[in-house]
Amino acid sequence: MPEAALEGIRVVDLSQGIAGPYCTRLLADLGAEVIKIEPPEGDLTRRLGPFPHDLPHDDKGGLFFHLNTNKKSVTLDIETQSGRVVLRKLLANADVLVESEAPGRLAEIGLGYDNLKVEFPDLIYCSVTPFGQTGPYRDYSGNSLTCMALSGLMYITGDPDKEPLCTGGEPADYFGALQAWVAILAALEHRAQTGEGQQIDVSILDSLGCANEYNSTMYAYLGAIRKRFYSRHHIPTYPSEIFPCKDGHIVAVGGATGFPLMMAVLIEQPELETNVLFQNLWMRTIQWQQFEEILRPYLDEHDWQDLLTRAQELRMPFAAVLDARSLLENEHLRERGFFAEVEHPEMGRVPVVAHPFKMSETPLRVGRSPLLGEHSAQVLEALGYDAGDQLILRERGIA
Amino acid sequence: MSLPLAGVRVLDLTQVYAGPTCTRILSDLGAEVIKLEGLKRTDITRNFIMPENDSQGDFWNHAGYFQERNSGKKSVTLDFNDPEAVELAKALVPHVDIVAESFTPRVMAKFGLDYESLKQIKPEIIMVSLSGYGQTGPWRDFTAYGMGLEPASGISSVTGYRDGPPLRTGISFTDPYSGVVGAGAVLAALVYRRRTGKGQYIDLSEQESAIPVVGHAVMDFALNGRNSQRIGNRSHWYAPQGCYPCKGDDAWLVLTVRDDAEWAAFCGAVEHPEWVPDERFADVLVRLANHDALDALIASWTREQDKIEAMHLLQKAGVIAAAVLNAKEALLDPHLKERGLYETIDQEGIGPRPVPRQVGARFSAFETDSRRPAPKLGEHNREVLQGLLGLSDEAIARLEEQNVIGDTPRGTPAGDIPLDVLRMFVQWPTSTFLQMGSIAALETEYKHDLGIDQ
Repeated sequence: MPEAALEGIRVVDLSQGIAGPYCTRLLADLGAEVIKIEPPEGDLTRRLGPFPHDLPHDDKGGLFFHLNTNKKSVTLDIETQSGRVVLRKLLANADVLVESEAPGRLAEIGLGYDNLKVEFPDLIYCSVTPFGQTGPYRDYSGNSLTCMALSGLMYITGDPDKEPLCTGGEPADYFGALQAWVAILAALEHRAQTGEGQQIDVSILDSLGCANEYNSTMYAYLGAIRKRFYSRHHIPTYPSEIFPCKDGHIVAVGGATGFPLMMAVLIEQPELETNVLFQNLWMRTIQWQQFEEILRPYLDEHDWQDLLTRAQELRMPFAAVLDARSLLENEHLRERGFFAEVEHPEMGRVPVVAHPFKMSETPLRVGRSPLLGEHSAQVLEALGYDAGDQLILRERGIA
Repeated sequence: MSLPLAGVRVLDLTQVYAGPTCTRILSDLGAEVIKLEGLKRTDITRNFIMPENDSQGDFWNHAGYFQERNSGKKSVTLDFNDPEAVELAKALVPHVDIVAESFTPRVMAKFGLDYESLKQIKPEIIMVSLSGYGQTGPWRDFTAYGMGLEPASGISSVTGYRDGPPLRTGISFTDPYSGVVGAGAVLAALVYRRRTGKGQYIDLSEQESAIPVVGHAVMDFALNGRNSQRIGNRSHWYAPQGCYPCKGDDAWLVLTVRDDAEWAAFCGAVEHPEWVPDERFADVLVRLANHDALDALIASWTREQDKIEAMHLLQKAGVIAAAVLNAKEALLDPHLKERGLYETIDQEGIGPRPVPRQVGARFSAFETDSRRPAPKLGEHNREVLQGLLGLSDEAIARLEEQNVIGDTPRGTPAGDIPLDVLRMFVQWPTSTFLQMGSIAALETEYKHDLGIDQ
């Protein structure tokens, strides 16, 4: 088996939900040993679907599976002093701690960064919360929807005559996960050079706000407040929009060289090359209804595969609008091996949404999510708890 | 206070959004990033968003879009259509740790700059390719724009109003997303190189990088055969959740109520205790079943409220809520201000402007370097080509004369576009945007409001 990039790195993961767990999934897929500490009733997402046949089961949650591959699960009640004794033993040999509790919550039980840094000076302590550890909203609660709203991204998403729209799939949480992951890796580099650990404060709202493209810049440079306007941009790329076609949807993009000729050729009306809407970008952007009247009838009569293939032959960056089914069935993704399959003891063969990038020397690992408490015995034993100790911890509801 | 990537040098051949985000993050963490552009192939975002819409002078050094993603980098112009420029780029390889590029897959091989070639020059090199669809598979040669990749990653299939068509986020979602992914991938490769001395190649497909965001939908299809659904602003798990109109023009509040306790807290905060026992809304099941009626009820309250006050009122009662902020409101938001999401960067010829950070985290051991201006085109030609490659003054003069290097754009690979034509193109029809409705307001006093009027 090839070496993994993060071999030898141990992560104690107290986080729940989406952002923290997806961050530690990336670390685990890269080869770090991630010990997921769950309360005895399990991570919150174990109770969220989708479940096979909608039958709830701690070990069969589809979202939990997606967010927790390659981790070890240890149940531990850190609300108890006895649970915290076990946790501190784990931290003695850990490089990274990730947590997602409300700011100050862990400090109340002696597990804040300030409580731990003297004992564990090389520990990297990363908190991932909706609004971060500082600022007037730090004690507010939030989710992807609130972060979309406050970041300014929701105001510019959706139709102008309807309410602002949140992007699907809990996007802010995933941005928070990525920024936390980058920060932990940077802190590992810092530690390799200096020997010192540190505290990392990740706000999911900040993480999404970093990604505003040119929304704040349009105000800071032009005094212009962008408003949601279908799927359309101000940067000079019109149409670049999702249009209906015969069997679904297609993204029609002219790209750097598509206008005036290639788009006219694609829709089999080469004479449109001289049309002012094909010649002049801003004219086309402004008189978009007229442009759509030309474009839409052709798209309506053709399948997306056909449009995609022919547009790409003409070097126009048309794109497919894929959904869950067509992603799983997509020939390109299949050839790249994006959806790996693993055997899960409770669910059988399950596809894994695999890796956001491929590494030539240290391929990311494909694995499954752990059963609740699956690694409790193994991890406790390694810490020196014999079978008798484990029984007592179990009986008292601590481990 | 040394930054974690101090001493790491990056040769940056990326352009536009995803790649430059990746390398700007590395730069903010301390890496020295040398951005290569061709005089006939300048980063196109040097044309996007001119201060005051003014395209006079060296406008390509003033673009707001460019500044956001290139702050702190060095700019060297080498035109790859010139074989000598390609040789100079190769000569830089032994001096760098990382090569980042975002061409379609065949381009780097054409220039002899693919990973196999770079590895011959410097075995421990780390190379990252950010492309639309990756280096393998039947779609590898597809040209790709960010606006197509969000739909191709599945995200648009779950974004939209209920029963409406798929929609896209108001940003090119996969660009910043895969840019952050790329930075993390490079950092992981650096951790491995520190331990083993070995470099490697990273193949990042921007389509793939964002598919995990729809993991829930993919798993639902895999487990139940249920395909992606668009649920507007509602939740898969909690009701009510939505976006509700407030007092004022285009003013909105989002909120989520997860359980009975939060429902009681909500009803208390809005002073409608009689809603708690109302049998249509009394438990989680009926709140889900009567979501439409519940929306109408909630809107009857929000309509009379200021969105900001309502947010604070509900949050203080323990209910998840937030005002929908536009760009100006986000720039002025007290929380984002205290967190320092927008850094003020003072760029020559532009003046101070707030620019969003690209590293989202705050570190206790160091502060990221995120307040530097973006480079002018070719600003570091001499520093890099003479400092690293030892070129003589005569050699630099000859390269300038032959337009291999320079400080002024010279059209595109497709042909020369006179600068005066470009000047017209880079001015945006903002007042027409306002009439169309894609801009909500065009304010003249914005610098005063932002506190950047010197």
